[in-house]
Amino acid sequence: MTAVQIEHDRAPRTVLGILGLDQHEAGALAIGSILRDHGIEVIYVGRFQTPSTLAHIAMQEDADVIAISCHSWEFLYYAKELVDMLDATPPRIPVVMGGSVVTGEDRDTVLASGVDAAILKDEPVEHIVETFRALTKSYRGA
Amino acid sequence: MEPRQKPPFVPRRPVYGPGDVDADYARDLGEPGGFPYTRGTRPPQGGLNDADSTILRELSGEGSAERSNEQFRYLLEHGATGLDVIGDGPTVLYLDPDHPHARHAVGNTGVSLCRADDYRRLYADIPLDQVSISHSLPSGFAIAGIYMAAQDNGFDPSVIRGSTILAPVYGEDTGYGGNLPLELHLRLATDAIEFAAQHMPKFHPFIEDTYFISDGSITAVDEMALGFIEIREVVRRLTGRGVPIDAFAPRIAILVNCGMDFFGEIAKIRATRRIFARMMRDDFGATDPRSWAVNVAAHSSGVTMTSEQLVNNVVRGTSQALSLYLAGVRAMEISAFDEPIRTPSREAHIVGLRTQQILQLEARASDVADPLGGSYFIEALTDEVEQGILERIEEIEQMGSVPDLHARGYFRSLFAEAMVDRAHAVEDGTLPVVGVNCHQIPREEDTLLREVAETRVEPHYDLIDTIAEWKAQRDIEGVRKALGELEEAARDSSVNLIQPIIDAMRSDVTMGEAAGVLREVYGFRYDPLGGGARP
Repeated sequence: MTAVQIEHDRAPRTVLGILGLDQHEAGALAIGSILRDHGIEVIYVGRFQTPSTLAHIAMQEDADVIAISCHSWEFLYYAKELVDMLDATPPRIPVVMGGSVVTGEDRDTVLASGVDAAILKDEPVEHIVETFRALTKSYRGA
Repeated sequence: MEPRQKPPFVPRRPVYGPGDVDADYARDLGEPGGFPYTRGTRPPQGGLNDADSTILRELSGEGSAERSNEQFRYLLEHGATGLDVIGDGPTVLYLDPDHPHARHAVGNTGVSLCRADDYRRLYADIPLDQVSISHSLPSGFAIAGIYMAAQDNGFDPSVIRGSTILAPVYGEDTGYGGNLPLELHLRLATDAIEFAAQHMPKFHPFIEDTYFISDGSITAVDEMALGFIEIREVVRRLTGRGVPIDAFAPRIAILVNCGMDFFGEIAKIRATRRIFARMMRDDFGATDPRSWAVNVAAHSSGVTMTSEQLVNNVVRGTSQALSLYLAGVRAMEISAFDEPIRTPSREAHIVGLRTQQILQLEARASDVADPLGGSYFIEALTDEVEQGILERIEEIEQMGSVPDLHARGYFRSLFAEAMVDRAHAVEDGTLPVVGVNCHQIPREEDTLLREVAETRVEPHYDLIDTIAEWKAQRDIEGVRKALGELEEAARDSSVNLIQPIIDAMRSDVTMGEAAGVLREVYGFRYDPLGGGARP
């Protein structure tokens, strides 16, 4: 795998998807729209993703962040698999997981697996947007 | 700052009076139990308190068939008079638990069902002649499964009561996808209705489920307009193949959503009964009065439940249940306080049941039929909602056929836009949600009920091994032969698929395998997700 060529002057780019068999799209579509409104480019790849499909799409699309919308518990079990897969191709694309089912304990669990940020249901939009910007900055500086 | 309020789906005036109502009693209302059924489909029951005729049920199913069977018995022992069985993620998607994509979703959001024996165990020792069982499962397989379980567990299938939801047109776009083509969805739906009309006359095989299409937050007018468009498509297909309308219309029911617009939801349900009655009689020529009277059941809205201040959800559930009682709904499920986080816990199940029981037995909310009938406000609102639904049906039907609109992504765009609109309305405060965008409390103080709600249910990985081992020891030649016969039946569009599905399941074919073969007949891949191969 060749080193990723990062364009520093474009808007943050996020690949947004849903892992496993979780079919709830409301959160994904909503956060995708909110991120776009705040200047973040969003590539929505929809449902039925696996760690492998998300990692490959993110690399092909030169994404700065992978965002996963969660409304089932499957994210907990896929987190480490996804992080390990991304670790194999540095610089490692950061991962954000968020959704209404994500609890404080879940956040600790996925952060311990190497996920870069976990967003709970009641986080202010400004904080969410800042999280994506900060991760993008850090990734591009890697 | 107090948030500005988003207007309700039908605008309201500050006060209503005689000039706002144009209803003719006999033409537009009728007595409860009489055309056009605005005031309810049943005559008053001859005594106050309708508790005995109400079906109390809660969403249930978790892990294996045996574990779910235990859950059913617990609910029945605690006052439930019906059950609502929900499948786990793989089951709803027509996948077996040993599918590679299924591994982290087996049994933790519903029951795992893929073979004949699962259904036998699920309903073991459940009095199928007394308990009404609603199924949030793939309809063709749910009907095949309960029919087979009844036969094998000692019941005549003709006594089975209950229902199964149908999502033929919108399922793929709204969280009930099975990766099936539209025409296969519609065939399974129409075949299930025809089969049940012949063999399970007490069963409602056609629950038009507007709950799941609306919980992404389309308006109540769009909820019912889309519901009626799906009903009309299914009715046209069935009558087009020669099934008389009065042979199946009496077994159509509608499962609606119930959100927080207290009076709007009551008006929606009253308008729905009236529209259905006139549509069946005048548009489709039904002559049996039972074909005109639609039974409306309800599931209170999950999207209105918040993960902030969970106890507030008990209040929301109570408000929704009260509006349903006042609308004359007698079969309901209340989304539980832990709904935003998990499938209902045992504690949440009990709160849902007790909510209904307190409203019935203490508040006596179900004593009188259509208690708000004649209210200037309710009658005016019912008329306006009815008008809105009828105009929307006409508008959408003029845009194209159902298959055409589906193929063009029109329905999906409606659902997607509604989800985004709601998120923006919550974000900017125009849709006030207590505890979320107003009247919040710090997270560290928000602890009530949290421990129960956040108790995680682990995937039932053992079921993956169980099914994989069971598959390995089957008579694989017998399975291949049965799949071949199912395929042959499916290639003949005049054959009803339910009996061939039952025959295949009795030969140890799983739901995932049967669905794969049916997909192939309709030009799809056996396994659109990849990872599964035909035996």
